[in-house]
Amino acid sequence: MLLALLFSFTGCGTYNRLVTLEQTVNKKWADVQSVYQRRADLIPNLVSTVSGAANFEKSTLTEVTNARASVGQVKLDPSKAPTDAAELEKFQQAQGQLSTALSRLLVVSENYPQLRATEAFQNLQAQLEGTENRISVERNNFNTAVQEYNTALARFPTNMLNKMFGFQPRPFFNAAPGAEKAPEVKFDFNKPPAPPAPPAVAPVPTATP
Amino acid sequence: MLDPSLGSGAWDLGFLRRRVLGSILVLSVILASGAFAAEVIPPKPAGYFNDYANVVPKEKALAFNEKLAQFERETSNQVVVAVFPKMESDSDVFDYTYRVKEQWGVGQKGTNNGAVLFVFVQDRKMFLQVGYGLEGVLPDITARDITEHVVKPHFKTGDYAAGLEAGINAIIQATRGEYKGSGQTVLEKRGPASGGGSGALTFIIILFVALMLVRLGRKRGGYGYTRSGGPFVASGWGGGLGGGSSSSSGGGFSGFGGGGGGGGGGGAGSSW
Repeated sequence: MLLALLFSFTGCGTYNRLVTLEQTVNKKWADVQSVYQRRADLIPNLVSTVSGAANFEKSTLTEVTNARASVGQVKLDPSKAPTDAAELEKFQQAQGQLSTALSRLLVVSENYPQLRATEAFQNLQAQLEGTENRISVERNNFNTAVQEYNTALARFPTNMLNKMFGFQPRPFFNAAPGAEKAPEVKFDFNKPPAPPAPPAVAPVPTATP
Repeated sequence: MLDPSLGSGAWDLGFLRRRVLGSILVLSVILASGAFAAEVIPPKPAGYFNDYANVVPKEKALAFNEKLAQFERETSNQVVVAVFPKMESDSDVFDYTYRVKEQWGVGQKGTNNGAVLFVFVQDRKMFLQVGYGLEGVLPDITARDITEHVVKPHFKTGDYAAGLEAGINAIIQATRGEYKGSGQTVLEKRGPASGGGSGALTFIIILFVALMLVRLGRKRGGYGYTRSGGPFVASGWGGGLGGGSSSSSGGGFSGFGGGGGGGGGGGAGSSW
């Protein structure tokens, strides 16, 4: 009897704690979604700015547009962190493809000094960089929140209660799965084209106005 | 013209792994007590303007410091400048300076109105980290503009003092008006309460701790933050001890108290 009472007490406390932790996870997930959205929102502008440059390599642009489209297809509920690891994996893969396409585009843009000199492009570049930084911060925050929540779930006596109340452990972002690892290219225009730019571009380095 | 090598590593999508690895390493460093130094998160600075690399004349450094302290009194914005000889981390400059800024808690709690201009002299890199609360008035584009077009030209000629002065002025200009100050810095608000009646005793304790820190700094063999802070450390504590009034009177030094503000990855940087 006493034991049962004690159990229900601790159960109440842990239940509340789990609810709080789960809410934090969802909140952080929303933050992750919003920074990814922020990046996606920059793309139409980037595409129109870049395609304005004479002779800009079409394939890199198409790649970005396609990646942007597939990101749009992997829509996850922004208010609730995914419970399915495969779902998150798919999301991550789509976003990773977009990252790759974007960094490629920015590397290629190195061959267009006149484009790079425009204020519009410089602004976009600053925003894109800032967005990538924010993505890294928010992903990290999300992973930390998930970790805390998952740890709490796995701990005794919570682990006995969580099934009763339907708490599920959440997957988090992988460090470097396939697509996310791919781009070796660093966004660094400082050095002369160190990562040899795609050969296709070679003929027209001096962009015409 | 534009030279955006900053924040570069953020494009390297291995960042998460590196970051996780980084924290593991940092943890082991703490455990192994500096057996292998992977990354050093410097302690919270004593002042607003901190020239650990000794590239700015002392009088100028003091003047910059007072300017920034006064800026916090007027606007509550905490703008900190930290000039290091080099980056003690393998991470990319955004990643590293973000962690350092979060650790220091620059900006007021709640408004998160802090910004830190990090400069790493030997690496020829700088990054302006911007807290949540100043992202509106100091968006990445403006931050980039400041590092790239205001500060960098001076750094290129080796005139650090001029570059930092121009940078400080630009940051102040951009962020003034967003928040209202209370007329006191965080440290000045805290000062009288903690200084309390037993000023002498506190002074002795602080002196003792400072001595210990200096010793520790020497033992570790890295560049001693406590030492190279030079007069800042010594008079910085004094400013804190004296509370509000004395610190702002001629020649005094206003210490930086932090505030617990955070950020979400705003800001931009440059290399020169």
